[in-house]
Amino acid sequence: MAAFRIFAVAAAMVLGLLVGTDIVVRASFPHLDRFTSNFSEAYLDREMQTIAQDRAAIVFLGDSALWGYDVPPGDAAVSLLRRRGCHCRNLSFEGGSPANTYAMLRALVAAGAAPQAVVFNVNQKEFNPVDSAYRTLHPSVSALAWPLLSPDERRLLASQTADDFNARLDRTVAAHWKLYGLRSDLRELMYGDVDAVHALSRGLERLSGASARRDAAHRPTAERFEGTYDLTPLARSPDNVSLTFLRKTVELLAERHIRAVAVLTPTNHALLHAYIDSPEYRENLRSLTSLMERRGITVLDYDRSIPAAQFFDNDHLTAEGNRSFAALMSGAIGFL
Amino acid sequence: MVDSEQDVVPGARDVTDVLMSDPLYRILHGRLGNPFWLGAALFVIVVAMILLGPSTESRFIYTDF
Repeated sequence: MAAFRIFAVAAAMVLGLLVGTDIVVRASFPHLDRFTSNFSEAYLDREMQTIAQDRAAIVFLGDSALWGYDVPPGDAAVSLLRRRGCHCRNLSFEGGSPANTYAMLRALVAAGAAPQAVVFNVNQKEFNPVDSAYRTLHPSVSALAWPLLSPDERRLLASQTADDFNARLDRTVAAHWKLYGLRSDLRELMYGDVDAVHALSRGLERLSGASARRDAAHRPTAERFEGTYDLTPLARSPDNVSLTFLRKTVELLAERHIRAVAVLTPTNHALLHAYIDSPEYRENLRSLTSLMERRGITVLDYDRSIPAAQFFDNDHLTAEGNRSFAALMSGAIGFL
Repeated sequence: MVDSEQDVVPGARDVTDVLMSDPLYRILHGRLGNPFWLGAALFVIVVAMILLGPSTESRFIYTDF
């Protein structure tokens, strides 16, 4: 009986401490400059709810170019705009695509958001069926948006949302217990990597010089991008999944009377000259621009606006490149 | 009638002594015998499992080049 009492009191104390921690996490978890590279459904949902209460927000949707690949969160172009006074919310992420942009927009609308404007980027490489995000939603985006998509839209995508008992239990626990739901974001904030083991491994690689050797061997050369861009004329590819979702995005923005700006992603033409400097590439950009402008979307063509020295690779900008990108957007958007 | 003391094998340890010298017994009758300490220890274990655990989420694998 004494043992039972000890364990009952201990269990009550654990529960009390966990509830207390959850209250602290809910109240104090910060709104980050941008998503972590492994952001959770719980964090995404929290950001959506915040934006739903904020009609002055300018929401950025898109891929790693807007997210700020390989630069610290504070150096990403959208973070720089925030520091200049833009009421920006960066919902772009590593591995975006038109399908993800549409799904994110659907989830935003379902959350009741009516932002001042939506800014999204259009990257021609993502219209290539071999692109990793062509028909794949980020798991956290999928968890929120999948139930909102029509059967026809779902058929175009590869489902990633498991629906077995374990997955349902996991989602239920994550929805009610934020310390658990936000664990991937918490880990990345604490360790700067997806988990402690990866962070430790990265630290050891840095100490041993292995990471420096790998970086030196991993220089982006033109031939690495062979096949990254598919220059099949989009005007003659009506079934292209990315084109379909871009059309749906444009329609949804118009239907909801949301002011929108599309940015044609800055691209490193010096590096990709052999693959993309052709009439087909320009024609595809013209076709996409025309599709968006017809529905009243302002299109900012930054395809050739950033010098090659400010790129890490084909479309990812250095810190200086992000500053140039922010300056371009700041001038053109003027914070609307 | 045989006296039970006659069954004691010389050099053998008393079973109570063995149990009381077990590390688990000593833990449970030490600080963790206090339910508050036990609760705090379990809480730390749960939180550590969450924060120090490996990332097993279905991470979207981004491939740059």
